[in-house]
Amino acid sequence: MMQSVRRGISIYSALAATAAKARLAYNMWVWADFVVTLISMVVFVYFWRAVYAGTSTISGLQLSQTITYILLARLLSPLIETRTIFFFGFMIRQGQIAVELTRPLDMQARIMTESFAELVVFLFQRLPLFLIAVLFFGMRLPSDPMLWLAFFVSLFLGQLILFLFDWIFACLAFYVTETWGLSVVRVGAGSFFSGALVPLVMMPEWLQNVAAAMPFSQALAVPLSFLSGIKTAADAPQLWLTQLVWLAIMFVLSRIVFSTAVRKVTVQGG
Amino acid sequence: MTRYLSLYWYFIIQRFKILMEYRLNFFIGSTSTAVLQAASLAAIWVVMRQIPSLNGWSFYEVILVYGLLTMGESITHMFADNLWIIGWNYVRSGDFDRFLVRPIDPLFHLLADRFCHDGIGNLVTGAVLVGVSMQQLDIALTPLRFLYIVFSVLSGGLIFIALNLITATSVFWVMESIPITQMIFNMNEFAKYPLNIYHSGIRILLTWIIPYGFVSFYPASYLLGRDIGPLVWLSPLVALVFIFAAYRIWLFGLRHYSSTGS
Repeated sequence: MMQSVRRGISIYSALAATAAKARLAYNMWVWADFVVTLISMVVFVYFWRAVYAGTSTISGLQLSQTITYILLARLLSPLIETRTIFFFGFMIRQGQIAVELTRPLDMQARIMTESFAELVVFLFQRLPLFLIAVLFFGMRLPSDPMLWLAFFVSLFLGQLILFLFDWIFACLAFYVTETWGLSVVRVGAGSFFSGALVPLVMMPEWLQNVAAAMPFSQALAVPLSFLSGIKTAADAPQLWLTQLVWLAIMFVLSRIVFSTAVRKVTVQGG
Repeated sequence: MTRYLSLYWYFIIQRFKILMEYRLNFFIGSTSTAVLQAASLAAIWVVMRQIPSLNGWSFYEVILVYGLLTMGESITHMFADNLWIIGWNYVRSGDFDRFLVRPIDPLFHLLADRFCHDGIGNLVTGAVLVGVSMQQLDIALTPLRFLYIVFSVLSGGLIFIALNLITATSVFWVMESIPITQMIFNMNEFAKYPLNIYHSGIRILLTWIIPYGFVSFYPASYLLGRDIGPLVWLSPLVALVFIFAAYRIWLFGLRHYSSTGS
């Protein structure tokens, strides 16, 4: 028992380290990401300042809260991107899927480990931008450790939910071979309904309901609401519980959908 | 000139034959960009329905700026998308050598090699946005205004192409130009909104150095009858200056090309 746990840990940590190294190998891309993120932060800050020029609160949010929220949303935007769909499309086209399925590791756990390792590296690479946001753009982070705890727990749960949702969505690749269109729809819906472009509370009620029915906000808007003063630490248990329900449903669904869809696999050529 | 036009026609016919082999993919590719635009537009709508104006610009005035930028961007997306992938698809694979031994201009050959249908969605989206906002703002489409828009979009497209060409030239030294192209290209984010919401330094940058302002803000100001001086007439001139300079830089880079060999 102990031995197999230790074996599992060493395998998955090796996978995580490899994914992290692959991300760090290309220096120029890191710089490009730095500049591109900086540009979008500057654009959003000026946009929101102009929005608040004639009013002090919008949907109960003050300018400083909105700026903090939006800057965090820009900095954490990679969290709502997806590579699972591309990866599925690629594996099926290349016939790689056959190899993946014969490996003695759980495919879902393996891909999740790699995705999370990449995300962690990505966020560390963005640390200088966090500093710039605090020093120059007026991002104000809370000092209460309970809020940070609430943030990290809900961020972790939210990312798991989104990963499992993407896993289910990516199974469509077994049925339709055109994955580019799928991923564009996913990215478009994800960026709007996760609250990455505009705080969800500013939306009209019917749109807020639509957003609540989708998993995207769990991965971004919910965690960020703790850091931008939209929610308090006292709201945390209830929001965590909601996330756990989401997580349980997504986990069961992802297992069922994958095992059904994988029987449909038709490798193109090769 | 006529030779190049008829050649381009020939290239594009061949390209469409390929694209039409996969009709569903063609359709998805050319409409998918509209989905991404929809997300940004919905965000602008959500915010602007709560406030009377963005620094004096109403919702539909902002949409006009956004629409003009989208149309300008679609030109480079359709006709010059190869400037993005010149690194991994042509230079690194050694495929670029092919262009150098043909009796036509290598840059022309590079651009004509792949018409990108993904840009069609943006052209249509942009045109709809411009049309709807002009209708909502009671701006009649006179022949003069129509010509002005056509010239603005073409000039805007040339400005996009010129900046991508300058940054793509770096490929002759660094083998992969996408990161550098991306840094400059993404400056167009600024021009999605009226430039007067920014600090004056940013406005000057977006007017004279990375002139995306001439794609959207200045033409929109003219159409809206805002008095901002002769700058509203400068788009074609700026476009020509930049495309000429970009071509010279490209030629300079080309002389430093050394094939990858294999």
